[in-house]
Amino acid sequence: MACDFLIVQRYDNLVLAKVTKERLLDPASITSLSDALIAEVNRSAMRPSIVLDLAEVGYLSSAMIGKLVAVLKAVKAVKGRMALAGVKPSIMPLFKITQLDKLFDFSEDAEQLILAYRRKPL
Amino acid sequence: MKELRILPGPPPALETCVFTAHWPSRLDLKQEIMDAISAQLLDRGWISPADCPWVSLCLDEVLVNAMMHGNEGDPRLDIEVSVATDGKRWVVLVSDQGTGFTQAVVPDHDLPQSLMLEHGRGIRIMQEWLDELSYYRNGSCAWLARQRDDVTTS
Repeated sequence: MACDFLIVQRYDNLVLAKVTKERLLDPASITSLSDALIAEVNRSAMRPSIVLDLAEVGYLSSAMIGKLVAVLKAVKAVKGRMALAGVKPSIMPLFKITQLDKLFDFSEDAEQLILAYRRKPL
Repeated sequence: MKELRILPGPPPALETCVFTAHWPSRLDLKQEIMDAISAQLLDRGWISPADCPWVSLCLDEVLVNAMMHGNEGDPRLDIEVSVATDGKRWVVLVSDQGTGFTQAVVPDHDLPQSLMLEHGRGIRIMQEWLDELSYYRNGSCAWLARQRDDVTTS
């Protein structure tokens, strides 16, 4: 499930996944990213904490938002948690309009989120 | 959820149409189409660069719907795209060769049970950003309109 625009770092059951692509619009990229993230969830121990760093993402489609929900479902299925970091102000309204701000934790900084998760393990 | 206007008749006549083109229903052409439409809007100053993520999102949504739902992914069927203005607003019209759709197929994401659905958010997003989202010919013709960036309100 390789995704050539996803950099993954693992710290025990913490996973920091950074997207290095600006546009998440085409079906191939959307599928590649969601498959890679779900693979990360599946290879993690129970109760993983996933931080998805979207700081470089400037364009999202509704299909990508739907796939993020699919990843969240996979995380919830193994009693884990998932957060989105670095979401640009220009695309943050998308999460509010679709009420996904109620489903995900958000932070401006991915590293801070990882530290917070480390301090407060599941 | 905002009511979605799906009307049986044809769309209003476009006052000043600046661009019309046809493309086959092929998703690999989607970015090319989006770039062509965005350039029409940007070059005329009808949208600002800050609008681009929203324009991309709306165009992505409406093109995928036209190609994959309206034309059922059949590359022999075309979509038609027009860019126009009524003086104060820009209008993008996207028509497919399908039979349309009804509001019943669009999930209401205001309902708690819809929150975890993986589809159906695109129309809601477009409704929020656009000044008008209407569908004509029973849904086979999408009408997207928003105030032009170069027109100031008085």
